[in-house]
Order: sequence, then structure tokens, then C-alpha cells
Amino acid sequence: MIMKLLATDFLKIKRKGLWFLTILGPLGVVLLQWVNYELVPGRREWLLQRSDDDWLFYLQNVNSFTPLALVLGITILTSLAASIENETNAWKQLIALPISKMGVFLSKFTVLAFLLAIASVLLFFFTWLLGIYLDLGAVIPYAQIATFSFYPYFASLPLLALHLWVATVSNNQGIPISLGVIGFLFTSYSFKLPDWLPWKWPSLQNQWDEPLVNVVLGICVGIILYIIGMLDFARRDVK
Amino acid sequence: MISLLQSEWFKLRKSKFVFTAILLGPLITFFYALMLQPDTFGLEKRFLWEFLIAFTTLLYALRFLPLTTGILAGLICRYEHQNGGWKQLLALPVTRSRVFLAKYTILMLITLTMQLLYLLAIWTSGVLKGAEEPFPMMLLWKSIFGGWIATLPLLALQLWMSMLFKSFAAPFAVNVVFTLPAILAVNSEKFGPLYPWAQPFLMMYVSGDAENDIFFVPWEQVLTVVGGSFLIFFFGGLLYFRRKENI
Repeated sequence: MIMKLLATDFLKIKRKGLWFLTILGPLGVVLLQWVNYELVPGRREWLLQRSDDDWLFYLQNVNSFTPLALVLGITILTSLAASIENETNAWKQLIALPISKMGVFLSKFTVLAFLLAIASVLLFFFTWLLGIYLDLGAVIPYAQIATFSFYPYFASLPLLALHLWVATVSNNQGIPISLGVIGFLFTSYSFKLPDWLPWKWPSLQNQWDEPLVNVVLGICVGIILYIIGMLDFARRDVK
Repeated sequence: MISLLQSEWFKLRKSKFVFTAILLGPLITFFYALMLQPDTFGLEKRFLWEFLIAFTTLLYALRFLPLTTGILAGLICRYEHQNGGWKQLLALPVTRSRVFLAKYTILMLITLTMQLLYLLAIWTSGVLKGAEEPFPMMLLWKSIFGGWIATLPLLALQLWMSMLFKSFAAPFAVNVVFTLPAILAVNSEKFGPLYPWAQPFLMMYVSGDAENDIFFVPWEQVLTVVGGSFLIFFFGGLLYFRRKENI
């Protein structure tokens, strides 16, 4: 059953801009660094002087925008996905089918998690390509590029679960979008946040200076929030 | 026209959520200002106001204000996007230009209210932190008024986008795509002044270098970048709405 649900959900997100945003997110994050390094003459040299490890410095620059794009991207994708049913009052018709509500929620979550995974893979390739173009050194740190591309994805799974929950149960989509703006502000100031706030995790910072902690936390708390969201979604009456 | 404004405000007021959206930015600014520790940055209490204004502008004007224009514009079109509301509204003896103008006026007034609440947030947090210097009223009026002028083009574009897209998130995505680069653009002396989404920050950030007694940026920048983008976005939206086919 879940495969059929997934197939319909992939069909439903066609031509709604979700795929476009999935590509635009990582592309935009990397393009901003292209602008940062290349647009003003002399800026590249100045940036390269600022560190001994040009690749790492470049990856940190990319990663200053990755969490922001992720938080806002999750906000937009979840709200768009919920809008498909919200706008046409299709929740009733969908739920009237002989399928479980939990399956509906799982299917939406899986589709969005898949889109974000694609975005992370694209981020890896775009980061790698721009790094080569900027000529940052012959030794390419593939492991570090992978860390900065995929760790934020796992660390932001709690936000995906939270936003999917809020977006699917809100009649007014202004509510999840405003939550996204608050989350964006939190993430912008992640260096000031306590370690237990999920909005800090995509930035990969913590007091132990160990990004893997954020990945583990992201997956665990993501699962918990997902279950809470799914149970609440299943319990609610459809308007 | 007055009754149109009243009905727009009534529709907005009924959703209740608009009050949260208005209070959100000033409240976050207030708590952020309370949390700031002047001494860790080596600043004396004497410069508390300047310090508070500089740091909260980075949060409020650079990040919050441009994004909120998207939320407000989405909210003001939300009622009509549901269940064929556009058809019903435009079946009334009102012209489309007036409907557009009424919605835009409400957005302008809400943003002005938000700016004044921001002023109140700065003042309250400063007093609570025990500021010794008098409140720099003149500086802040320039900042509040300048920031408001700078959001007018963004409001116009977001109103246009909110009328164009049925979903709430799509116009907000447009907003995000243009707002994120502003964080980078304000660092550039060359591109920052030309980028419309950086203007709320540039016009709210207290600086003394501009030879201008009303704003913190040169007149040419206000007229060309803010004024120019306003004309494009406002008349673009208005022309679009006049020709829009309602379904």
C-alpha cells in the first residue's frame, strides 16, 4: 500500500515547484559563494589569504548558508506539500479512501525526505565543482565535502518532522511559515543557541565540537517528532 | 474606498493570526535585546542605545522584516484564495485597482505599526537594562521611517506574488530566494546599495556618513533603488491584477 501512496504523492508534487526548489536550494547556496569569491576583483585573493586551508575555509563559507537554506527550504516544501490537499479541500477525499492516515503521513514524509536527500547530493556535487573551478588546491577533501553536505541533512530531520506536522494540521498556512521564519532567526544565531535546540543542529556546532553528535541527535529526535506528528495527525478530525 | 479598507481589515482581523504575525518581530527583538551582553563586547553602558540598535537591526531589518512582508501579503490574499473568494469580491461594485490599493494600504499600515512596535521594543529593553544616556529619538525616527520606506517595494512585489500563486508557500519562496542573498549583499559596498532586499537594513542601520538629513543613505539611492523597484513592483502587480482571470 505504501508504494501506491508514494506513487500518488510523487505524482501530486509534479509541476508544483517542489522539484524546482529542490534543485534551486543547493544551487543557490553554492552560487552565493561563487558571487562571494568571484564577483568583486581581488576578493578571491583576500579570502584565500584569510586561512591556511583554502578548501576548509570555502566549505565553511558554503556551510554558513546551508542551514539557513535547509530551514527555509523545509518550511516551504512542507507547506507546499500540505497545500496540495488544503487548497482543494482534498483531505476528506484522500482520507475517505481505504488507506490508513498514518500511511498518508508516512508517504508525505518519505517524499519530502527524499527530495531533501536529492538536494544534499546536489549540494555535494555543486560544492565540489565550484571548489575545483575556484582552484582551491589539488588535494580535494571529499570526506569533508560529504560531511558538510550530508550531516546538515540528518541534523535537520527533526525540523522536517515538526514542520510536516504543523503544516498538515494548520488550516492557515501562515502558521507554519511564521514558525519557519522564527526557525530561520534561530538558525542565523545558532552560535548563541543552547545545544538542545534542534534549530542549532544543522549548523553542525556543539560544545564538543563533534558534528556527528548533531547527526545522531537529528535522527533520534527526528523519529520521535515524526511519531508524535503522525499520531496527532491520525487522531485529528478532518475538516 | 474607506469601506474597502474596512472590509479588508475586517477579513484580516477575523483570522486572529495576523496579530501574532505583527507582534512576532518586535517581541523577538525585545528578548534578543534583553539577552545581549554589552560588556562582553567591551562597550560601556554609555553607548547602550547605539549598541542595542546596531545589533537588533541585524536581526530585525536584515532578516525578519523582508521575510515578514511575504507572510503579511500572503495573509491579506488568503481569504480570497479560499473557495472562490476573488470572484465574490470582484463581483461587488468595486474596481480592481481600488481592491489592489486597499490591500496595499493595509499592508503599509501594518508594517508601520510593526516599525513603531520595534521602536517600543528597543526603548523598553534599553530602560530595563538601565540606559543612562537619553533615548536617541532623532536617530531612531530616521531608522524607523527609512526602514518603512524600504519595505514598500518588497510589500508591492509580495502582494503581486500572493495574488499570482494560490498557495501560501510559493510567494514566500520567491521572498526567500531574494532575501537570503541580502545577507551577503550588505557586506559589499558596490552591490549592497543596489539590491532592493538589502535596503530595509541599509536604511535602518544607524550610520553618519550619508549627507542626508532624513535617511541614512544618499537620496539617489532612495530614489533610484527604492523608488525604482517600488514603481516596477507596484505597477507590475496592479497591471497583473487588473488583467487576472479569476478561477
